[in-house]
Amino acid sequence: MRQFVQQLVNGTVLGATYGLIALGYTMVYGIIQLINFAHGEIFMVGAFGGLTVYRYWLPEAWADKVWVALPAVLVGAIAVSVGTAVLMERLAYRPLRNAPRLAPLITAIGVSIFLQEAVRLFYPDGKRQQSFPQLISSGTFEVAGVTVAWVSVFVVVVALALMVALQVFVKTTRTGKAMRATSQDPESAKLMGIDVDRVIVITFVLGAALAAVAGVMQGMRFAQIDFRIGFLVGLKAFTAAVLGGIGNLKGAVLGGFLLGIVEALATQYVPQGSSWKDVWAFVVLIAVLVIRPGGLLGERVAVRA
Amino acid sequence: MPESARRHWRRSAVVLLPLLLAAACGGGDEEETGGGASGQATKVVKIGVIAPLSGDLTATGTGIRNSVDLAIRQANEKNKVPGWRIELAAEDDAAKPDVGAAAASKLSSDAAVVGVVGTYNSSVALQVAPLLERANIVQISPANTNDTLTRGQNPATPDRAYKNYFRTATLDSLQGGFAADYASNEIKAKTVAIIHDKKAYGQGLADSFRGRFEKNGGKVVATETINPGDKDFSAVLSKIKPLNPELIFYGGEYPEASLISNQAKGPQAMRVPLMGGDGIVDPTYGKTAGTASNGDFGTSVGAPPESLDSAKQFIADYKAAGFRDSYSAYGALAYDAANAIINTLPTALGSATAVDDSVRRKVVEAVGKVDFGGASGKVAFDQYGDTVTKTLTMYKVESAEFKPVKTGEFKA
Amino acid sequence: MKLEKPPAPAAAGAAALVVGTLSPWATFAGFPGKMSLGGFPGGARLFCLLLAAGALLFLLDVHGRRWAALATSAGAVAVVVVNLVALVDQGGGAGSVAWGACMSLAGAGLLVAAAWRLPPSSPAAGEATPTRAPVIEIAAIAAALLAVLGAVVWGLRIEESSRFVSFLVFVTFLSIAVHHLGVFSWLGAVFARHHRIALLLAGAVAVAFPFTQQGNAYWIRVFASIGVFAVAAIGLNVVVGLAGLLDLGYVAFFGVGAYVGALLSNAALTTSNVHLPFLLVVLLGGCIAAVFGLVIGAPTLRLRGDYLAIVTLGFGEIFRITANNWDGLTRGPNGISGIPDLALGGFDFGQSHAVLGVTLPGFANYYYVELVLICAAIVVFTRLNDSRIGRAWVAIREDEVAAAASGIDTIRLKLLAFAIGAFLAGAAGTVNAHVTTQVSPDSYTFLESILLVAAVVLGGMGTVPGALLGSTALFVIPEKLRSFQDKRLLLFGAALILLMRFRPEGLVPSRRRRRELREEAPEGVPGLAGATGAAPGGPAS
Repeated sequence: MRQFVQQLVNGTVLGATYGLIALGYTMVYGIIQLINFAHGEIFMVGAFGGLTVYRYWLPEAWADKVWVALPAVLVGAIAVSVGTAVLMERLAYRPLRNAPRLAPLITAIGVSIFLQEAVRLFYPDGKRQQSFPQLISSGTFEVAGVTVAWVSVFVVVVALALMVALQVFVKTTRTGKAMRATSQDPESAKLMGIDVDRVIVITFVLGAALAAVAGVMQGMRFAQIDFRIGFLVGLKAFTAAVLGGIGNLKGAVLGGFLLGIVEALATQYVPQGSSWKDVWAFVVLIAVLVIRPGGLLGERVAVRA
Repeated sequence: MPESARRHWRRSAVVLLPLLLAAACGGGDEEETGGGASGQATKVVKIGVIAPLSGDLTATGTGIRNSVDLAIRQANEKNKVPGWRIELAAEDDAAKPDVGAAAASKLSSDAAVVGVVGTYNSSVALQVAPLLERANIVQISPANTNDTLTRGQNPATPDRAYKNYFRTATLDSLQGGFAADYASNEIKAKTVAIIHDKKAYGQGLADSFRGRFEKNGGKVVATETINPGDKDFSAVLSKIKPLNPELIFYGGEYPEASLISNQAKGPQAMRVPLMGGDGIVDPTYGKTAGTASNGDFGTSVGAPPESLDSAKQFIADYKAAGFRDSYSAYGALAYDAANAIINTLPTALGSATAVDDSVRRKVVEAVGKVDFGGASGKVAFDQYGDTVTKTLTMYKVESAEFKPVKTGEFKA
Repeated sequence: MKLEKPPAPAAAGAAALVVGTLSPWATFAGFPGKMSLGGFPGGARLFCLLLAAGALLFLLDVHGRRWAALATSAGAVAVVVVNLVALVDQGGGAGSVAWGACMSLAGAGLLVAAAWRLPPSSPAAGEATPTRAPVIEIAAIAAALLAVLGAVVWGLRIEESSRFVSFLVFVTFLSIAVHHLGVFSWLGAVFARHHRIALLLAGAVAVAFPFTQQGNAYWIRVFASIGVFAVAAIGLNVVVGLAGLLDLGYVAFFGVGAYVGALLSNAALTTSNVHLPFLLVVLLGGCIAAVFGLVIGAPTLRLRGDYLAIVTLGFGEIFRITANNWDGLTRGPNGISGIPDLALGGFDFGQSHAVLGVTLPGFANYYYVELVLICAAIVVFTRLNDSRIGRAWVAIREDEVAAAASGIDTIRLKLLAFAIGAFLAGAAGTVNAHVTTQVSPDSYTFLESILLVAAVVLGGMGTVPGALLGSTALFVIPEKLRSFQDKRLLLFGAALILLMRFRPEGLVPSRRRRRELREEAPEGVPGLAGATGAAPGGPAS
């Protein structure tokens, strides 16, 4: 039983990362029906952005003062992610807005490959793992026999806070309402005077910011990052988004946590489970799409004629 | 002819003619190969390198390539093979068997290649060796440790697998056994959890460790497998933790090992050292695992380069040559491998004007008989192609760096 | 035919260009192609000189000459620029560029400007492509095919990357120029008129290729790999190009075939000792892959296009991870190795054989087997394309709801496409197992699926020459540019982005696809189909 709870804890932490990234996927798909393959790379690039700030711009004296270092790293990460996402939308996706599905999808794959390689080739010593500062102490505490790390608590709390903030934003602010309107019906939204292009950019920005935070947290948990962390996590996060219902914010969060927990439990209870870990995400995806294509909480996408 | 027709002919002629010309001119430009000054009549002989020059393990592969390059440069300077210039032909295998096979194919079809130093990964060597054997090109690996490469399918009844394959690194069965003895006798661990990445090297090493450890009376409480490229090991470590192992043995490479060590000591709060093979002994390990890795162990083939006089010369020469990357753990072994080939060249080439099949065969034969003192110690091969120097070293991490703690041989 | 007086800038430009190509381009010795010597057009300068022939267009008023002249002169500029970059990079600074290069650049620039100023050509109103005597037309086909063979063989022999890139640039711009002069549409019509003979000649050229290698196995091995890849690409072309189903996990079918072939071949390091005759294995590999295709397709083909893409991606990964972990069957990450060469009736495929005085290395045998497979695949593809099934696929692709409303059983037809595509990939996989002598999960990654999709998309969706061209390009160019090995994937990603932005229909598109992707008005009015050249059903459509 204790093992079960321990794996639940592990899974929740894992799921927090998936959820944050899934939000980005789900928002973009909800608005322009594009699977942004490169979103996983946005996550990776954000992590590298945070690392760059820490390594090259933060003065030595403040390197271990969490209250200064952590916000600085986060700001750096968000800046880089958002910048990349905006450029991506402008240069690669916007011209293909009206093209048949195949073109933007392949473009997204191309962008994903390009970003991975760009970091690998042009970041100093990019080919190797980069050690990432563990700004939150790596200590642990025990609760009823279950080991929990402080950094894990931090990750889950921050993730949940951001998810709630996003919900509030989308529900109450004007921009949020504009986003919802555009995802329901872009044509009518335009007729209502909503600047659809701006809304799309904002969607990308929000998704990128969340992914950047997830990237920094990944770095802190594992004390290292490298150029390949984006790919598989991206795929799984998209699975989580579909699991919860694409276009549905709460669904993405739920899907993320569920997926993380399934992975952890499968590792525990399936023999040699750890090497089969990645399969579960795909099995879950296929099962969901076959049994309940709308996802657990129902999808929110306009049907393109 | 009508007007439009003539127009057509002119069009076609204007266009097809250059193409045909180009095809015809093909023969003439053949002498343009290579970028060297073609003034002198120096004959060229090449030594190939197949190692990971891209991907995760680039650091190691580059060290191997640079060390071979150093040996070649020195040979050219000293004019070790009069009338011939030695060149380096390095190909990337990206640590993947199929890329390595393509590289081996490319090198075998290059007529000037007389020998290859490589590979690093045992799994890649399993593809490369048969291809090079077909072309009678000698292959000396500075790092492969998997038994089957020299001892054949069933190492218990050894049968030489590839006539052209040699190595300056020693076997997994010896390395695993050495590690197990150290674990039982020095660390005095009674229970071990084994994790490996299922590849030829990792699994082979883990199996030989297990065999010896159990023979010593120890107990393996868990065997788990992971995928290279994984980042999050919390689940598998949580699974092992309640079984209370005193040591975690990892069969695999340093990227995953550093993550496992960091996550075991940190978020999972297991106060247990990690031990691995030569695949984890790399400066990057300590750097990325941080202080959590202090107290971890790793074995490596050969004596520590810094302790041998012969190696000190190699280290000094390497520094003087100005390479940007370090020589990695296999530099000295690769250097010796290259010299083993170079030493055979004067006799094997003899009065030949170009490298051909008979030259390659002579090199294979001659390499089998070499015996000289190299940077890593005595360089000579037994009847299976294994090195006769079976020294192994156990390293321990202190202040995030691997420091040698014991050097010796494994006695079965 | 009147000869015009060329405008002064054109004449000056042409003269400068020609003189420039005969003069040194490099100030240091050792640059490939002896470019530091003057008096002859060595190295990449040859390409420039040949492109200078485009200046002749200023003398003749032929249809389409403006674009052709622009293309040839722009090509000359591009070649010079490529070499300038290489010179500076290798020579270490601007001082390595000699005056010949500058002269050529200036000359080419003048030609571009002059070409821009040319008046647009009078439209070739009502000019039907003339029919010549069959002998002449067939000779033209043969000449064109030989030219392609010659270019390929010659291009492969180029060792240095800068010269190879110059060669590619040269071929590209020359093709554009030729295209605008109407040669390709004329050739297309001629091919269509004599298509049986054309195919025979094309086959002969393909068979002749290994003979041009003089016993050297390297490129034959590459082409043997291209061969299996091309069969898989044609299969994917059925799925993506014809039926419009985006499959991002296609390599799994290829892998299934490869493992089937490996397990049934009595390999050295394997888990099964069964050994079956090769032809049976190929069929089995194809059928088992087809079964997988049906299994994967059945629950998922009713999904939206995007979801199908992700699900197929998922299946691709599931296949790879399963192969990686199911040690009992697949030997895990180490895979099955030591797969023996084929031996059909005593003929050992691994050995080289002497044919007509030339030694053909072992890989040539595999190459020929693959040619047979490719022919079979092409037959399957074209028959399907021209059938009711093919037309039903087009209908599904363009508007599924309308197709279903007209009574087409969309699910069954989509499944059929999937199964056929999977069968072709599986068959190709079994041959591949013998070519590479080993199968391991590492070879069947998501990136490989993307490469297959890229080959189909780059080459041109829905056409056979497109799939062949795409496969060849994707193999040959990275092999040739091994010095750029490190940046290879970066360039690949960038290429995908640019391709989708500027030419999503690929290099040799079917006209239907082109229209779909560009949403432009259909070319010409149906009645004048003959005037635009290619008849439907020919290789270009």
